[in-house]
Formats: sequence, C-alpha cells, structure tokens
Amino acid sequence: MKKLNSIFWAFAVSSLFLISCSSDDNNVPDVPLGAYDNGLFVVNEGNSTVTTASITFISNSGQVEQDVFRTVNPTAIGTGTYLQSLFFDDTRAFIISGDANKITVVDRYTFKFIATIDTDFDSPRYGVVFNGKAYVTNAVDFTPGGNNNFVTVIDLSNYSTSKVALNRTAEKITAENGKIYISNGYYGVGTTVSVFNPVNNTIDKVIELGYVPDSFEEDNGVLYVLGSKIAKINLTTNEMIGAPVALPAVQNDAKNLNIEGGKMYYTVDTSVYAMSENATTAPTTALFSYVSNSDFGAMYGFAVNGDRIYIADGGDFSSDSKIFTYTLTGTLDKTFNVGVGPNGFYFND
Amino acid sequence: MTFRKLYLVVICLVCQFALAQKDSVNYLDVVKISDTQLKNFSNSQSVLKLNDSVIRKNQSSLTSLLNYNSVIYFKENGLGMVSSPSFRGTTAQQTAVVWNGININSQLTGQTDFNTVGTKDFNSIAVRAGGGSVIYGSGAIGGTIHLNNELNFNQKLSNEIRVNYGSFNTFAGNYKLSVANEKVSFQASISRNSSDNDYDYVDSKSKNLNGQYHNTSFNTAFAYKIDTNNYLKLYSQFFDSERHFSLIFPSETKTKYQDVNTRNLIEWDHFSGRFTSKVKAAALSEKYKYFGDVSSDFYTYGEVQTFIGKYDLVYDAGNGIKINTVLDYTQNKGNGSDISNEKRQIGSGSLLFSHQVTSKLQYEASLKQEATNNYNSPLLYSIGVNYEIADFYRLKLNGSKNFRVPTFNDLYWQPGGNQDLKPESSYQAELGNDFHFKDFTLSLTGYYISIKDMLRWVPKGSEWSPVNTNKVRTYGGEVLASYTKKLGQHQLALNGTYAYTISEDMEMKKQLIYVPYHKSTAALAYNFKKFSAAYQFLFNGEVFTRSDNNSKYNIDSYMVSNVSVDYDFGKNNTYMLGFQVLNLWNEKYESVESRYLPGRNFNIYLNLKF
Repeated sequence: MKKLNSIFWAFAVSSLFLISCSSDDNNVPDVPLGAYDNGLFVVNEGNSTVTTASITFISNSGQVEQDVFRTVNPTAIGTGTYLQSLFFDDTRAFIISGDANKITVVDRYTFKFIATIDTDFDSPRYGVVFNGKAYVTNAVDFTPGGNNNFVTVIDLSNYSTSKVALNRTAEKITAENGKIYISNGYYGVGTTVSVFNPVNNTIDKVIELGYVPDSFEEDNGVLYVLGSKIAKINLTTNEMIGAPVALPAVQNDAKNLNIEGGKMYYTVDTSVYAMSENATTAPTTALFSYVSNSDFGAMYGFAVNGDRIYIADGGDFSSDSKIFTYTLTGTLDKTFNVGVGPNGFYFND
Repeated sequence: MTFRKLYLVVICLVCQFALAQKDSVNYLDVVKISDTQLKNFSNSQSVLKLNDSVIRKNQSSLTSLLNYNSVIYFKENGLGMVSSPSFRGTTAQQTAVVWNGININSQLTGQTDFNTVGTKDFNSIAVRAGGGSVIYGSGAIGGTIHLNNELNFNQKLSNEIRVNYGSFNTFAGNYKLSVANEKVSFQASISRNSSDNDYDYVDSKSKNLNGQYHNTSFNTAFAYKIDTNNYLKLYSQFFDSERHFSLIFPSETKTKYQDVNTRNLIEWDHFSGRFTSKVKAAALSEKYKYFGDVSSDFYTYGEVQTFIGKYDLVYDAGNGIKINTVLDYTQNKGNGSDISNEKRQIGSGSLLFSHQVTSKLQYEASLKQEATNNYNSPLLYSIGVNYEIADFYRLKLNGSKNFRVPTFNDLYWQPGGNQDLKPESSYQAELGNDFHFKDFTLSLTGYYISIKDMLRWVPKGSEWSPVNTNKVRTYGGEVLASYTKKLGQHQLALNGTYAYTISEDMEMKKQLIYVPYHKSTAALAYNFKKFSAAYQFLFNGEVFTRSDNNSKYNIDSYMVSNVSVDYDFGKNNTYMLGFQVLNLWNEKYESVESRYLPGRNFNIYLNLKF
C-alpha cells in the first residue's frame, strides 16, 4: 500500500508538472510590455489648474499609481488642463485636453512621452483610431446644436492634422465595420448619428434617431445608441432595426451605455440599470445605486469590463476623489483613491 | 411692511430733533468728501487711510496698491488679469468697493475685479476692515475699500502729469487738473494704462502669452458753493478697458474681455442749524463683453444700469450725540446674452447713532432694513465702542450683522437662475487696540466672522443653479504699524502690516483654498531734501489649492520687493524723475497655480506738478 501510495503521489506530482508544462506551452505567457500593461487608466479631468489634471494607473492586482504622466515624464510639457478622454492604438495612448486644445501622445505601456499634437483642435472631445489615422471630435464653443463642430483627422505616422467640417454637433466617436460613427447630441439638442466615411472624409449618411443620443456601443454588428431610448442600428445597412426601446420617463437622463456579455448597462443619476440586448422593455428597477456626496460629479465616469462595474465619483473637483468597483450583481468590491474629478476608465490589457 | 414701519420711526425721530437748538458745524469738512460715514461712523473699527503720496508711489492698479500696503490678500491670474481679493479670509464678493460713498461691486458678479480700478484718479483710498453693510450695503463683510475724491475750497490751480514707462512696453499716464477758489472746487483727470504684458517667466523658457491689456479712465469731481448753507457737488467717472486673458498652454483658445463702467453722482448738501442733509442721485452702468475666441466676432455680454436716490440727514443733538438717517432707493435694470431682462428695486432705511460721552469714550450703533421682493433681507445692525484708556492706548470694540445679496447672475441666469435665494449673512465681532507713542503707532485687531448661506452654483438635473449652502467661519489677527522720524532734513517713514487668517469651511473643517495663514507687507520711505527712496516688501504665506488641504499641491510662499529712487529737479514746481525696480530679487512666484508673475523688471517715471 505504501508503495502504491508513493507511486500514486509520484504520478500525481509528475502529472502536475506535465499539466503545468503543457499549459505553458499552449499559452504565451503575458509578459508585461511595460510598467502600465495589465491594468486600467483613470483619467482625472481636474479643474483649471495644471496639477489637477492627471492619470491614475490601477494594475489588475490592485496596485495604484497616481499621476503616471508626470512621474514618468517629469520634464515634459504638461498634458493641459481639463482632460477630456483618452484613446489607444496598438502601441500608443492619446490623452485629450479640452482646454489646451491638444493631444499628448505617450507609449501605452511605458507612458513615455512621444509627441504633442496641437494643431486643428478647438475643444476636442473624443477620439478613435482607424487604419493609421485618428479621428477626434471638436465641440468648438459648446453651443448646443452647434453646426460649427468638426472632426480632426490625424495621420499617426507623422502627426499631421486636417479638419473636416461636420455641420452638426460632434460628440462620441467609434470606428466599426470600416466606418466612423459620430453621435450628434449635446445638452439636449441634436437627434442623429452621423456615418463618416474615412476613405474620402465625407458623411455617408445621417441616421435620425428621434431623440438625443448620449452614448453608443457596438456588439455583433449592431450599434446600440442610448438616450431617452435605446436604438439598434444595423452596421451593414446603417438602418435602424425596429423602433427604439423607450426608457421609463424617470430615466430620461440615461447615460453611459456599456455592453458586456450580451447585457446593456447604463446609468441614471447614481443608479446602474442592466437589460438584455434583446429586451424590448427597459427595466424599472435599478441593479444597484451608490451614494455620492458630489454636487456635480455623481457617476462622473462609468464602465463595465469583464466581471466588474467601475464607477468614478467626481467629488468636489478641488481635491482627490475615488472610484469604486462592483460585481455584475451590484456588490461593492473595492474602492480606490484617484485624482481630481475622475471621468473615465481605459483598460490596457 | 417692515420698511414702512422703520420709515415712520425715522420720520418721528427727525421731527422731534428738529426742535433742538443750533450748534456750530464745520461745513467744509462735511462737504469735502461725499462718504461722511467713513469719518463719522467708523470709529470702532480699523481704518487704514492711504493718501495721495502713497497712491503716487505705487503701481496704478488697485490690486498693486492694496497688495503692498494692506492686509488684503490677492489672487491674481497673472499680472493685470482677473484679480480677486480675500479680506479677512472672506470671498471676493464679501469685500465691497465704495466709490465716493456708493457701492460699486458688479451687480452681475457681486465682486470688483481689482485690476479694473485705477488708483491715480483718487486723492485718498481707505481700507475699512470689518462689517459695514448698514452703511455700505451688500458685500461689506470682510471690509470695504473707499475710493474718494476730496474737494477743498482753498485757492489753487495745479496741473499734475505723471508718466511711467517700463518693461513689457508698460505705460501708465495720468493728468490731473485741480482748480479751486472759495466758491468752486474742481478736479478732472485722465488716466491711461497699457501693456504688452508678455513677460518671460523666471527660470523657464515660457512666457506670458495673450496677456496684453489697456484701459482709459476719465474722472471729474466738482463742488459749487451756492451760499453758506448750500453746496452742489458732481462726481463722474468713465472707465473703459480691454484685456486679453493670458494662457497657460500656448494652444489654448485666446480670449478677451472688454468692460465699460460709468458712474455719475450729483449731490446737494444743505446745512440748517443742527441739521445737515445730503440729497444724492447716482446713475451707474456696467457692461462687459466676453470674446470666447479672439479670432471670432462672437461675444457674450451683460449689462446693468443702476439708479440710486439717497436722502442722508444728520442731526447734531449736542452733548456729543449725532443721529444720522439714510433713506435709499436703488433700482437695477439688467440684461445680457445669458440673463433675462429684469428690473429690481430695493428700498432701505438706516438709522445711525453716535455718542461722544466724554472726550475719551464714544460709542456708536446703527441698524438698517431693506425692503425688496427679490430676496428676504435681514435686519442689519452694528454696535461699537471706542475708549481711550490711556494717552497712548485706545480700545475699540465692534459687533455687526452684515450680508451679501444674490447677484443678477444668481437670480436671473438663463437657464438656472434661482429667484428663491437668501442673502449670505454674517455675524461678526472685532476687538481693536490702538497704541500711539511719539513717532510710532501700532494697531492690533482680533476678529471673528461667522458666515452662513454661502451662495454656490450646483447642478439641478441638467441645469446649474445657485443655492444657499455652506457655512464658513473666519477668525484671525491683524497688525498695522507705522513709524516716522524726522532728523534735520532726513525723513524716514516705515509702515508694516501683518495678518494671520483662519478661514474654514464648517462642514469640511478645512482651511479654504487660496487663503494664506500669513500675509505681511512693509514699506520704507526715506527723503533727504529733494531726493527720495522707497523700498516695498510683500510676504505671502503658502496657500492650499485643494479643498482637502493636501499640502503636496500648495502654492509656495513668496517674498517680493520693489525699490525706487527719485529726485525732484524743480524749484517751485515739481519736476521729479525716478527709477523703479519691481521684483528686485527676481523671485519666481505665482498667486494662482501656473499663473506666474513677472521677474525683475524696470520702469522710469516722471512727475510734473505746476
């Protein structure tokens, strides 16, 4: 018995090795490409002063590093104030400052400063990369319904820029199926989504929604557009699929559409709602709510990624604030201290 | 209702005293300035008077004059840019600027930008610390700044020209004409300031971009003696300015701001026995245009026309008792690109009482009630004592309730204006000790202010709207000291101020951002025959920029010095040529984060008086 036992153990142990060997062989180990691989960036919008604009990095293991841009690049010119958003290409991260009319380009894994792009911007908002070029929306003077908004096209090989007039509001932007989609709503005005053709920089089509879009996300060839309703747009035909699903009147101010695992998540004030992509009626009860003491920064940033929901609380915009992670069922997981006025999450995996 | 009752009480008092007997009054002293309460009803508070010679020695902005000569702290967005005071730890809206007795804080923003007030048009500027809403109305919480034109009837004809030119193509010019005889007193002045304001930052490759400014003002003051008992006075001012707002990052959108202010005041002073009456009518206008992008003609604007009618009656009851009633009607009409076209009317009655009990003891008490349908106005009051305990020592005690009313923007901004607001209100008390020795005076004041219903804009749904929220308490101590010495033809004057300020949000229990614990100034002036030299020093303690008082982001303390020398080549007239170095030690400093102020810079000046 004893021998058998030891053989069993020998077998068991060796099989463990075997298993671990084979596992190593099959999966290329995720060697970090830099200090800031495998984690997420939180953009801290800040206020009018330079040091309040910052980027926080939170690694997948939960380690937090504040103000990574200044830490890595102490002598570089600052990113500008009022950080609006961030977007990636394969190797770079692009940080948009709305007030300084510029984009700071850094290595997305090391956060080393690469370049500043500061031509052809006027209150830049959001950006997306497609086929070696970046497309960035500009709100100009923020006039609701402003027909002077435009898109900045950046050649990412040399950072040269050009402007394309949009003749309507330009807010959120995404690249899907060879086209660039731009939401045209801002502050209660503008009820369309524009289909922008990156081949000739023209608008292929303007899709009328009948309500003001806040945010959109693509899943399986369909663009879901959230406002006071949720519309589905077929990305092959650029036609709406059926009538938009109306949200209950109390959810008129819905924001922050995120899709994860076939479910749509959105927020109303400090509450998070979830519904199936295929649902034809909207939920009337929230998945969960959180408590905010912020006068004007409740639910200032929101994201769903993997099995976690991320909420940024703007705080008082005059001191460091917090972000919270929740499970998909709405249980508080972790709280992290970040910078001033956190407004968005950008996952770097 | 309250207003009507008060009015009746006032009238009754007046009728009663009308029967009292006559006493001698120094009419000319009363005629000299319009703001008589600054002299008569400020005895239990600290008043710092900056006379003509101090005004002349300083740069022409009110920011610069008060920054180097008073306890008031300034938050300046770069040289010549928006400048907000914090007096005794209060907000910019809680310091009132008073032009010849009229409160001129903006009806739109509630504050005065101290870089849009030139100093050279005035003969005297006084800093009255502490509460003053009974007399000066909204915003007199931290204190009041008094811009006065003094009119004298002594025979004179003088012309004064002051020209100053220096670094960054900065020009300041001022011409003043004064004519007076026993019947008429007249002053007129014109001032012009301009600068490219493109200074290099100290120890940096960057420079101040888009900071250029210019402003022009015309000022007249006139008094006419109709007969022994009647005087007619006119004051007027016109101020026009354009400022570009400087950038932090070169790629920011360039903006600029234009504002035009006009102020006119007509006054009839009548003396009859123990009564002195002043009937005043004032018309003020303010208008701004903000260009969000200088490359475009598009701008937003706001304007307010104000009419004020005032009846000010002083009764000298004898035995050291003075009773002063003031009835005031103010009408503001505002409109703008973001505010609705609105008119507001405010009536008020004030009763001020002062009693010189003995040569050593004096006390004063006052109250005021406003009536308006725009907001609920509290009863305001003030009470104070001034007691000379010894030849060299005087004690002052004052307590008051004051307010800051909602502005046109707070009430009528579209969208979001809230017509259901209360004024910010304060209870405050101070204790002052004045010491006077041969060549040396020292004043030590401690104060406490509790402010509630602070107005703050917060979002309501998708719109922002003002609400009454925080409570703030501020307390601290102030020291004013001066020393003068004359030895033969050598003359020495040393003035200093120091303020220690605690100003905390009662909810967060943290010091308010941009309020330094310590601020100090010193000025040394030396004269020998026709030569004079002056040294100015400013110390500003570190300030928090974060509401949680995270000291990592504090703005460092700074020490800045200016020095000037001049020589008067004239025999009977003044032909003075001078040279000045500002920021002598080339300190790298900022009062607002990333808004650096200039390093060492130079100017020459010429003063002619004939």
